[in-house]
Amino acid sequence: VQDRHSDNSHLALQAKHTEQHEGRLYNIPLEELSAVFPHGLPHRFQQQVLTFNEARVMVRKPALELLAYLKGSNFSHPAVRYVIYGERGTGKTMTLCHVVHYCSRQGWLVLHIPDAHLWVKNCKELLQSSYNKDRLDQPLQASVWLKNFKASNERFLQEIKTQKKYMWGKRECTEEGRPLREVVEQGLARVRSASDAVGVLLRELKQQSHRGSFRLLVAVDGVNALWGRSTLRKEDKSPVCPEELTLVHNLRKMLMNDWSGGAIVTTLSQTGSLFKPSSAYTPQELLGKEGFDALDPFVPIPVPNYSPKEFESCYGYYLERRWLQHEKGQGWGGKRGMRVLGLELVSSKWAKKLDKLNTDFCTHRDAQSFAVPSVSLQGPRTFPPCASGLISSVCPCTPRVST
Amino acid sequence: MVTAPRLPELQECLENSLRDAQGGIVGVSVQAQQRSGQSPGCSEQSRPCGVQRGRSGRVRPAGPGPCRPPSRRAGPWAERGGAGMAARAGRCCRAGLSCGALLSPALLSPAVLSRAPATPRWGRAAFSSAPAVSGREGPQAREGSVRRRGRTLQFVRSAAPPRTERMAVDQDWSSVYPTAAAFKPASVPLPIRMGYPVKGGVPPPKEGNLELIKIPNFLHLTPPAIKKHCAALKDFCTEWPSALDSDEKCEQHFPIEIETVDYVSSGTSIRNPKARVVTLRVKLSSLNLDDHAKKKLIKLVGERYCQETDVLTITTDRCPLRRQNYDYSMHLLTVLYHESWKTEKWESEKSEEDMEEYVWENSHSQKNALDTLLRIKASENVSNVTKEELLASEVVKNYRNSVIALKNEGETESNISQYKESVKKLLNIQA
Repeated sequence: VQDRHSDNSHLALQAKHTEQHEGRLYNIPLEELSAVFPHGLPHRFQQQVLTFNEARVMVRKPALELLAYLKGSNFSHPAVRYVIYGERGTGKTMTLCHVVHYCSRQGWLVLHIPDAHLWVKNCKELLQSSYNKDRLDQPLQASVWLKNFKASNERFLQEIKTQKKYMWGKRECTEEGRPLREVVEQGLARVRSASDAVGVLLRELKQQSHRGSFRLLVAVDGVNALWGRSTLRKEDKSPVCPEELTLVHNLRKMLMNDWSGGAIVTTLSQTGSLFKPSSAYTPQELLGKEGFDALDPFVPIPVPNYSPKEFESCYGYYLERRWLQHEKGQGWGGKRGMRVLGLELVSSKWAKKLDKLNTDFCTHRDAQSFAVPSVSLQGPRTFPPCASGLISSVCPCTPRVST
Repeated sequence: MVTAPRLPELQECLENSLRDAQGGIVGVSVQAQQRSGQSPGCSEQSRPCGVQRGRSGRVRPAGPGPCRPPSRRAGPWAERGGAGMAARAGRCCRAGLSCGALLSPALLSPAVLSRAPATPRWGRAAFSSAPAVSGREGPQAREGSVRRRGRTLQFVRSAAPPRTERMAVDQDWSSVYPTAAAFKPASVPLPIRMGYPVKGGVPPPKEGNLELIKIPNFLHLTPPAIKKHCAALKDFCTEWPSALDSDEKCEQHFPIEIETVDYVSSGTSIRNPKARVVTLRVKLSSLNLDDHAKKKLIKLVGERYCQETDVLTITTDRCPLRRQNYDYSMHLLTVLYHESWKTEKWESEKSEEDMEEYVWENSHSQKNALDTLLRIKASENVSNVTKEELLASEVVKNYRNSVIALKNEGETESNISQYKESVKKLLNIQA
């Protein structure tokens, strides 16, 4: 078990993750984590990083597949679009983050949009765009994203120069040949023009990527938001179509495969999506006709639940970190028990349940009460019945009969 | 009071009688012998000797105990001679009839089967046998008994065993239920239970079960009954043509099916407005339609077409007579056929949303694929590649098929993986 969790980060550095490493967890140093992922990690994973004080990402087959494609791709051809899809809680965002980490280690310029759904809902301020009367600006979302982008790609912003002169309003302008960093700072300083700054940034990157001085990775999580519906309303209460939003419009242009020198990796996400049934997870269901036609032809990459090997690895990791605790210690036929019970659990969902159990245990231990916490196993996917058996046996809160 | 010694006949009678579970007398063998002069003492008695068993179970021996005055009914016979009476009574006894007030001298030994305290005053002696009386009935009134309830008297009917017990297994069921009738538990020899079960128990039995009576039953339409109906109707039918011996041949020669319903009811009028409805069914494969005509026809008829069976169903009832409705439905079919063959000017405006199935030609998918391929070729500095060449190439054909399958059949694992492979080949992605 120990060798599973050894520090395979050097392998990640050399990008040598192969099939033999499948199921193992590799470590990302925390400084690098904050540099590469100012945004974009799933919330649960962030909590885990805080708890364990280390970031361990499991190497899984879909990610390996994607990395193989990226390694073998021809950068003079138009950018290939990859769409990661799967049911809820199977690890799509983690796969995307693995790819982003790999690409940033390889020195790519990573354009990471953590959740496109955030751009089509819950927007407090909508300004009419000065560039195009029909479109709407979202200053807050744009500035937040610019900040995070700047944090992760400082080096590139210095190197890449603008190719055109851009006028920000009546007086301010950015000359040709200035580093892109000025565009970003302009957007951060003048929040009103943040959306336009994002648009300029995307345009410049798209035009310059084919030169070969840098590789561009466009990573969008929840790409189905761009072609869905939005809950935003204009001042006259009429609904806003996503294409009327500047950010969405520019991002859509970015996702077209009319540029070369990079790749586009996207994720479909039902969680956070608007007006989509919770059972939808396939590309056509979530993207709709418009989205499918826009992204076509793309390479769909399915992400399944944990395989037994991956499950064992994760379970062993939690055991090792003392996150899971047995009354009888390690020897409870943990893995054997798993095989006997024949469990096949969802990766993050199971983790959620166990975390809840453990937090309950911590609170209960202080209170010296041995009531079994009621583990509500509801969710869109029902666990196999033996799961409850597992968890209650794993749970240390079973009342001690001796008292 | 000292009871008088019993008559030997009475004693015999008592011994021979069938007793039920409670020791009460159930049946008695009636001895139809003429014994005359055996007990002159009793001959004056205008009272039947018998055993009367009251409710308390007390056996009151009739006989020379308390001498009772002759009953009123026995009046005219009392004066007659004993022998004549005996003969008469004997005849009656032999017949096993239950006579009302029958004078029966001690010559006979009838038994009065009565559990209730039938007062001797009434003098009702019933000669009836109850062969099998279940103890279930309890101390209820039995045959020919009279129950006194308060001041009034109720003649309680005897509970005869249900008819089902006497039914043979191979009986003719259509005579039990010749027509539609309510469910009669005593006539249906099936152990049916219906209803909400008692707690911890079973649904109620069929006796007195309203649920079974309420629902319609088809006990009158068993296969043998229907066979009989067919046999009766056969006289009104003509022979089935021998050339039409299979379904396909029927379809081929008679593609249109007309369905009409006739209604018969007992009443003053033979008319029924429901009889005017005519349903016409035809398979579109038997009509001469090309692709455009078929799609147009399906759009015109809408709900009346069934995709799985390829059957068009037209139901007409707007005219008052059946013949008129039939003519109208044929007219509708003709009009639909001819109209679907015509092409109107506005049909050229048919857009993608109107299409019944996905057509890859001139779709976004085709456009995207071609653009991508052209860009790839341009990046490789390969020129002079025409669209037609690209469209005719293997990878594009593969891609086209996978997209059509994905759109028309929906998304399945196999469809999506097929699409993935085709895109990888199209864009030349190597792992």
